[in-house]
Amino acid sequence: MTPASRPSVAAPETPPPIPALAAILAVARFQLGRLLTPPRLAMAALGVVFPTAILLAAMKASGRTLPFHYGAPLLYALVPEAVCMLGLLVTMCPVVADELERGTWVHVAVRPGGRRSLLLGTYLAAVVWTGSVALSALLLALVSGAIAGGWAVLWPFIGLIGLSCIGRAALFALPAVIIPKKALVAGVGVALVVEYLAGFIPAVVNQLTVALRLRTLLVRWMGWRRQLYSMPEMQLLIDINPPWMQVAAVFVLAVVFLALALAILEWRQFPPSEES
Amino acid sequence: MISLTHVTKLYGTVIGVNDVTVELGSGAYGLLGPNGAGKTTFLGLVTGQLRPSMGDVRVFGERPFFNSRVLRRIGYCPASDLTERNATPREWVRYLVQLSGFTPESASRRADRTLEQVGLGEAVNRPLSTLSKGMRQRAKLAGAIAHDPDLLVLDEPFDGLDPVARHELVSLVRTWAHSRSLLVASHLLHEVEALQAGLAVILGGRLVASGPVDEIRRLIDTLPSEVRVVSSAPRRLAEMACASADADSVRFVGTDTFVVATRAPRDFAERIGAAAVAEGILVSELVPGDRSLEGIFGRLVQIHRGVTS
Repeated sequence: MTPASRPSVAAPETPPPIPALAAILAVARFQLGRLLTPPRLAMAALGVVFPTAILLAAMKASGRTLPFHYGAPLLYALVPEAVCMLGLLVTMCPVVADELERGTWVHVAVRPGGRRSLLLGTYLAAVVWTGSVALSALLLALVSGAIAGGWAVLWPFIGLIGLSCIGRAALFALPAVIIPKKALVAGVGVALVVEYLAGFIPAVVNQLTVALRLRTLLVRWMGWRRQLYSMPEMQLLIDINPPWMQVAAVFVLAVVFLALALAILEWRQFPPSEES
Repeated sequence: MISLTHVTKLYGTVIGVNDVTVELGSGAYGLLGPNGAGKTTFLGLVTGQLRPSMGDVRVFGERPFFNSRVLRRIGYCPASDLTERNATPREWVRYLVQLSGFTPESASRRADRTLEQVGLGEAVNRPLSTLSKGMRQRAKLAGAIAHDPDLLVLDEPFDGLDPVARHELVSLVRTWAHSRSLLVASHLLHEVEALQAGLAVILGGRLVASGPVDEIRRLIDTLPSEVRVVSSAPRRLAEMACASADADSVRFVGTDTFVVATRAPRDFAERIGAAAVAEGILVSELVPGDRSLEGIFGRLVQIHRGVTS
């Protein structure tokens, strides 16, 4: 077909070569900017405060500072588990759905490597944001003095928060790209079925969960392994391999989940009707 | 530049585009069609958002889907409004340019320059939510061109704009298209006419015509068009029309109006007008076949539906 006017096409300008990391960082920065809104900040503040509120309530109910062997596991359940899980659900699961709803998906999808940058940048933002909220929650809980000798958990729990965010954000990337429009519901399902059901089944399947690795690290880093000798059934709920292998396993799981999510996202098509 | 060969795109059992074959060289083109005709699907295939179910799509000689080399050379401005309301135009455009592979510094420079170019220089730091629709359209356009693409693809770019904003944006796009290639999807034909672009007409997922406007007009000229005549002596004038070799058919609509189907509407109108003057018959209205793009589009739709007279 001959056009109405036939202008000359200028030679393509080659953009300066930069690592894909720069685009990923750009997305992460942009996503963090989106999180700095009053509703999101209020939600984050709730995440920071609620573990301390629970601990103080438990302390008030018992009438004394919580003993370490009781308070530390409770704090683990509240921060590296609950706060991280909830934070990642709301930051990671809507990675595609949010873009489709805002009408920005198409802007990103037509950029070279845009889909990849979107997923990895959002992953980074989710880890940073949720990690910060969980870390603040941990510090507030320790400062409240609700747990006797609570500061002993600081470094192990910082590690557990980091690993929880890294592993579970990658896990939630899967429902986010497979069923974007119901990703939050699917994410809750994944959390319950994969992390809290399969994670407690003493079989090969729990080797694929982040929960097993975190529990094992909790026991190892807190020096509770000896106490588990008296409870053989509890030993089934942790892994026998050393801590470095647990840490490595979380990173391997995260890489596998992200690679799967990326492959799906790169291959997915969203008909115009699915956009806002 | 763009080549589609027997391309079909299915969404389940729904057809987006149906067996489309078209070759578009460098230049400016308008993709015309009513809502739901398959324009956005066509653009989705060209911009690498969609894979064809059948056939082959090539842009700059390569398949665009999942192809960074091609995507780097395309700028796309979708039809949907920009609902990224908290960001400012500068942040938004810089973000998109960075996603196209530019460093943050380079992206900032390009964003500022392009926003100035589209006339948003004064509003670069205002949240998008505070901008008018026309300004947001400009921000979208800036995002599409800031990385200097070779091909700019616009989907209903002037939808919902007031006449002034529309005129300004048309001028802007036309200026841009002087040096680069352009593909504009629209259901408003005068917009494409204003862009002085070639035409590809799509209807029901099928490409029903493509070529320069003049070529399509020639195609139209080979088919009967209608001339409406309102006169004080319609029967006498219709008799004269029937005697003319140009008239294919004559039908009356009302007591003083008749419509002649003819393959040479302009010649026929001139002849019947002259005959009326010679006979002293008052002709209050003599409207030859619609020569505007609107008319052409209507005729092509009719042809596609098998209505030829």
